[in-house]
Amino acid sequence: MFDWFKKLGSRSDGTQEMRRSFEQMLEDGRHIFDAATNALLGGTDPVVIRDDLWATDKRINHNERQIRRMLMTHAVSYGMSELPFCLSLMSLVKDAERIGDYGKNIFDLAALDLKVLDDSRSDLVALKDTISKLLVRARNVYDNQRENEARSFLAESDALQSLCDKRTNALLLRTEGGGRLAATALTYRYFKRVVAHAMNIITAVVLPLDQLDYYDEDASGRGITPEED
Amino acid sequence: MPLWARLLALFALLYLFLVAIEVMSGAFKFMGSDQAKSLFEGVANPFAGLAVGILSTVLVQSSSVSTATIVALVGSGELSVSYAVPMIMGANIGTTVTNTMVSLAHVRQSQEFRRAFAAATMHDFFNVLAVGVMLPLELATGFLSKTATAISDTLVERSIDVGDAGSYTSPIKIAVKAVSGEVKHVLKDVLGLDGTFGAVVMLALGLGLIFVSLTFITKIMRVVIAGKAEQALNAMLARSGLLAMAMGVGITVAVQSSSITTSLLVPLCASGVLSARNAFPVMLGANIGTTITALLASVATGSAGLTIALVHVLFNVVGVLLVYPIPSVRAVPVKLARSLAKRCAINPVWAFGYVGVVFVLMPLLGIVLFR
Repeated sequence: MFDWFKKLGSRSDGTQEMRRSFEQMLEDGRHIFDAATNALLGGTDPVVIRDDLWATDKRINHNERQIRRMLMTHAVSYGMSELPFCLSLMSLVKDAERIGDYGKNIFDLAALDLKVLDDSRSDLVALKDTISKLLVRARNVYDNQRENEARSFLAESDALQSLCDKRTNALLLRTEGGGRLAATALTYRYFKRVVAHAMNIITAVVLPLDQLDYYDEDASGRGITPEED
Repeated sequence: MPLWARLLALFALLYLFLVAIEVMSGAFKFMGSDQAKSLFEGVANPFAGLAVGILSTVLVQSSSVSTATIVALVGSGELSVSYAVPMIMGANIGTTVTNTMVSLAHVRQSQEFRRAFAAATMHDFFNVLAVGVMLPLELATGFLSKTATAISDTLVERSIDVGDAGSYTSPIKIAVKAVSGEVKHVLKDVLGLDGTFGAVVMLALGLGLIFVSLTFITKIMRVVIAGKAEQALNAMLARSGLLAMAMGVGITVAVQSSSITTSLLVPLCASGVLSARNAFPVMLGANIGTTITALLASVATGSAGLTIALVHVLFNVVGVLLVYPIPSVRAVPVKLARSLAKRCAINPVWAFGYVGVVFVLMPLLGIVLFR
């Protein structure tokens, strides 16, 4: 009898739908990353997965635009009180979209039939598995909004970024290897960027709006750990 | 504030609103027939009435307040329905100034401003065109007032049939009259205010209460329906037509303000998320939805009050029926608004000039020339 009353009181706004779309973007980004790295490192034929990757990327772009539109209606419906949420999500969807983009960059290497250096392959495969799990975790950490999980995620991701940097720098100092050397260095670089965008998303759990994406810097640009903010 | 408290406050404010209407009607009776009649002689000319309707709505920034006031005046018997019809039409034009002013906030971004101004002024153009067609028709045939009178007579007869042997008085009216009678008693017998001064105090009190009650009803309902409004707006982004119009009616009825509904649309259009074409039916829906306030106000008045409230409904419904079904006609207000917005985006002085001329200068001239 009082169903209408309960419905009126429930928060049935667009935030749930936006959250679902955002999580779908993260899931799609991880899918592109996995499929592309499998093509580069695991021998999957790029031609076989191309259409699927393109369709997934299209869905990511569609969800990004959909969230932007919904953020506008959310902002006009609720006014200033929801502004931080809207601005924050506006920034995060861009990061989610970029994960898919870097996945496509990795796919481009595979599509050019480039191979990575043999002595880096097993390291890259291990890194790929770690990053793929990290992307699944990113979705859960964002969903749960637990600070301690977010801080541990950021610390682990930061270590992964440093590792990618170290590997890239070491490769840049090598002279032999030609195209394979370039492809390996680029792969490490793309891996780092994927991790960086996942980190940016998780900064929203622990940092204020103006500090998004800069979890390791204070206002003057000096390095700090996430616990110090 | 929990939902039950909001709903309780809402019912209390609706009661206050009806009391305010009754207080206002009582003020004109308090004033005395001759004085009240001389006050409204100025609006005997329909163009002066139209101008008064526009200007008073622009001044109070709310057609709900101005139409409720007109209903109270007609309900008191001091303003005739025929004098009030152009004023109601003027209120419809005047109310569009709010979202036009909202659009001016985008003036620094040329493209954004063009879209915002077009979205806001298509509402103006629709109302001006509707008045342009229907005011001469009403003056020639009285089709709005005659139809509204017929409907209100039928409704009043039915309510008498339902009641007790022709002497039925609505319990709401009894509850409302009791309070307004007390107000008059306090002013006249306790404070010793009599004659014109007493009437003016009562009038100011009534107007103040209308303002307060409508403002808080709008505030409360805006919070209560924010989620639903968001869902409706999201659904509307992909759709046009009758569903969007129904959403416009629904949101406006809920918040008791067409300005709130149309002002939600302007930023969406400015950002390019919503097209003017898709926003147009929502604005038409808001025009129909806003008539609920006059209908509510008529609960506290007699059949004449109901008649003018029905004129408001008919004017807006007929306006939509004239414009919406034929795509080429439907496109006219949107095209005119886009064309004006294009010019205003190049030189924003045009926009400020437009607001000044349409909403201030022309109504002032109308009052000066035709009263």
